[in-house]
Amino acid sequence: MKFSYNWLRELVDGMDTPPEELMRLITLKTAECDRMENAGADRIIEVDNKSLTHRPDLWGHHGMAREVAAITKHKLRDPVPAEPLPTAASPVRVTVEDFALCPRYSALVFENVTVKPSPLWLQYRLESIGLNAINNVVDVTNFVMAELAQPMHAFDAEELRGSEIIVRNARAGEKLAALNGETYELDSSNLVIADPECAIALAGVIGGAGSAISGSTTRIVLESACFNASSVRRTSSRLKLRTDASMRFEKSQDPVNTVRGLKRALALLEEVSPGIRLAGGLADSYREPAARPPIELPLNWLDRKLGGAVPVSEVRAILESLEFTVEEIAIRLFSVRVPSWRATKDVTIKDDLVEEIGRMIGYDNIVPTAPLAPARVPPSNPEREFHHHVREMAAAQGFTEVFNYSFVSEDQARAFGLDPARLVEVLNPIASDQNFLRASLLPGIWRNIRDNAKHFDSFRLFEIGREIHPEQEVPHFVAAIYAKDDGPNPGKAGLLELKRLAECLLPNVSVRRSKARGYEHPQRSADLYHCEALAGRLFEFHPSMVETGRAAVLDLDLTQIFNFQRDTPRYQSLRRFPTSAFDITVAVPARTSIGEVQDAIPLRPEILSIEFLREFALPDSRRSLSYRVTAGASDRTLSSEETGAIRSAVIEALTARGFESRS
Amino acid sequence: MEQVCSVADDISKLVADTHIRIEVADTIELIDEVRVDLLGRKGKLNEISKQFGKLSPEERAHLGKTLNAAKQDLESKIDAKKGALELRALEARLNGEWIDLTEPAPGPRPGSLHPVTQVQRELEQLFTSLGFAVLDGPEVELEQYNFDKLNIPADHPARDMQDTFWLKDGRLLRTHTSPVQIRGLETLRPPLKMIAPGRVFRNEEVDASHEHTFYQIEGMMVDRDVSVAHLIYFMKTFLSAVFRRDVTVRLRPGFFPFVEPGFELDIRCLICGGSGCAVCKHSGWVELCPCGLVHPEVLRAGGADPEVWSGFAFGLGLTRLAMMRYGIDDIRLFMSGDLRFLRQF
Repeated sequence: MKFSYNWLRELVDGMDTPPEELMRLITLKTAECDRMENAGADRIIEVDNKSLTHRPDLWGHHGMAREVAAITKHKLRDPVPAEPLPTAASPVRVTVEDFALCPRYSALVFENVTVKPSPLWLQYRLESIGLNAINNVVDVTNFVMAELAQPMHAFDAEELRGSEIIVRNARAGEKLAALNGETYELDSSNLVIADPECAIALAGVIGGAGSAISGSTTRIVLESACFNASSVRRTSSRLKLRTDASMRFEKSQDPVNTVRGLKRALALLEEVSPGIRLAGGLADSYREPAARPPIELPLNWLDRKLGGAVPVSEVRAILESLEFTVEEIAIRLFSVRVPSWRATKDVTIKDDLVEEIGRMIGYDNIVPTAPLAPARVPPSNPEREFHHHVREMAAAQGFTEVFNYSFVSEDQARAFGLDPARLVEVLNPIASDQNFLRASLLPGIWRNIRDNAKHFDSFRLFEIGREIHPEQEVPHFVAAIYAKDDGPNPGKAGLLELKRLAECLLPNVSVRRSKARGYEHPQRSADLYHCEALAGRLFEFHPSMVETGRAAVLDLDLTQIFNFQRDTPRYQSLRRFPTSAFDITVAVPARTSIGEVQDAIPLRPEILSIEFLREFALPDSRRSLSYRVTAGASDRTLSSEETGAIRSAVIEALTARGFESRS
Repeated sequence: MEQVCSVADDISKLVADTHIRIEVADTIELIDEVRVDLLGRKGKLNEISKQFGKLSPEERAHLGKTLNAAKQDLESKIDAKKGALELRALEARLNGEWIDLTEPAPGPRPGSLHPVTQVQRELEQLFTSLGFAVLDGPEVELEQYNFDKLNIPADHPARDMQDTFWLKDGRLLRTHTSPVQIRGLETLRPPLKMIAPGRVFRNEEVDASHEHTFYQIEGMMVDRDVSVAHLIYFMKTFLSAVFRRDVTVRLRPGFFPFVEPGFELDIRCLICGGSGCAVCKHSGWVELCPCGLVHPEVLRAGGADPEVWSGFAFGLGLTRLAMMRYGIDDIRLFMSGDLRFLRQF
């Protein structure tokens, strides 16, 4: 919102702080000033609206002038005349159907109005703060709004039917042609100003075109009202119509201002429309809000909150300069009455008073102090630490971390075997193809592979992120290795490297072949198990998913993996007696796995380890696999007969499984 | 006498011959042969000593010394020659083992962590060193935790400032990490110090400075009599560690429903030092993070009595911090998965 420096000066007696300095002080003590512009001999300070959301009183120059007066320790001038409005009956009767939606509706009727351009000083005032000058009547309403934060509206009285103004909910389907040329279709959630026949304005938002002030207007009804903030907000956002009036009412304006606004407008109209007369007196339909109790402010408590002692006199001076009334009801205990324009929602508890005093003193004047607290070891987050460990491990092995969005499209979901009916759906997605939450990290990783393959011939990447399922979020680790061309056995190295990565995180991981999913290479996919629990999956992408080259993917459930981490190991004493080892070689049919053969070797207490040594290719596509078996006992050296017996037992078991021994 | 002379002659001749053989030997095998010929069981020294039987004891003693001296002399020369030959052989071998170390190393190039992870990790370690717990919260949140319990009721203008992704099941994607304040109060219970880094979501169009998915870090300390003075001290301390230099901060009033008093914390522009530049829009200050004393309603919502406990809280934009730290000018890069960007860190 724009503030004219000269206008503020006129409202604060004796204020002579230069504009830049004033802008700095306002920023430090009241609200954020974004920039300052020159406007002839005046300077215009632009305040960020977001820093005014809690200050309904600052949406007009008088409210801001009050802040300036408090900051610069000068006196605030009130532009509203002191004389009360005439109490004669008003020619117009006001009926407010629901005071909850309209706490106060005040109006004056004027006759002998001459509509013409405003005097230059008035036009200039409005234009300098970004409002358009239209005619003297409309300009006065805008001036009062800009000065007192009280939006007003003038109706051409001749266009109103009947002499009653009703503040009511719109009827379903009721239409209003508004001043901006648009016609709005309303419903019962919209509050309207109406005459006995139809709606004449959208309450707190915009006036109707039918009763707009024109060059031939001679009689006007001047509205100055207060509308419920939520109601105005809802109407404004549903109809997508934001106006200077609606922005102010949304902040919960003070109903006390309606009559003040009328008094100010009366004085101005007499100046800009010579001969104008009041017809009758004030119409005022008002339900006073319940008296708000004063706030008790213990001064010791205030000092503890700020972290420094504030002299009692200064606390009082600050509060009184902001027009709070202060009564000392006990030693170092104030009872503070909040002025009506701050009480609508901003200042209700003693903590709000801490802010008033703190900001006026200036937070620069508070001495930073180290909090004294016992040194405590904070609770650890082992699962989070583990995730970092996984990241470091992956990075150390050449993987680069990526982040992917949490959104997927329905097509992407199906392509990766996810049923959209079992995904969490977004009501207001950023785009129609980002309307589901990812229950798998694979779509993102697939996209990363596709995109980076345009720039690199080989790469490794990983992501740690959450799968979002309806009942839970599950952290997953997905790693991928891509190579455009990796030699004679394409793709094998990538898969086995990922397996090694899995082994770094799960020493006892075992691989079991698994039926391939649609996006997986049919001969290159497996589940990863830890004992009997499923921990993850390892696969190569189906060639239809990868344009050139090969991509291998590892997908691990981090919650599972975390649970399987080793406890502190217990030392086992070193063997006292030497072990002995022998090698065996078997020929097995094509596609018999190394693991399958190894599992066929029977376990006995004397067999300490079985290690796969090497493979030879056989001419008939069978495989020749060699293993080293190490045997030993804890209480003796095994004799050659014993070792021989073990060897025979092993060969017998393998032969029984149909594997040909070739030792 | 003749016998003595002949033995003495033999010794002299053996020494002279062997000297020549030693000199001429140019392989280790040859020098070994010389040794064997000289010192072996059937070697020349033994042959000569067999002749000693014919000599008188005085002659034996005298020639014995001569023979010994000859043996020691020849042995040491053989050893020396062998040593030299071995050295030469070693040098020749080593010389032939040149490797071009400028050849590219095999195996994958080193990987790296995402720049946001790096900044996040640094902050986690910093805060842990200050006694803070690190907490996680869900990305899919309940409206209660994201708004109501943070003193942001329905119809509150603050809800406008947070464009929310709503889910069909009534939940939402968290718009800030502040819900973890409530969760922290509920699980840790005061007194407590905690931070909560994480992913947050705002329904905003994406451009070079706006994203719908980004990262924040929430912090909160709740104890008895926590004050504004403590907050300022604290922010200055940890921000100086984050920016790795002394920073000047200023607090000015800011409105956030979950703190009262609430502040915007600015730091003096690190680029121009406060004199004004494009980065700080010529104001000399850069807006950094919202903070304040925890609102009593928030403490109550987390099950803590505000008459007993008080606290401060702050929220830092992690993504923004990473942009400042590394000089990144396009926020969209963080979620792009583009290795040309990610490999730089």
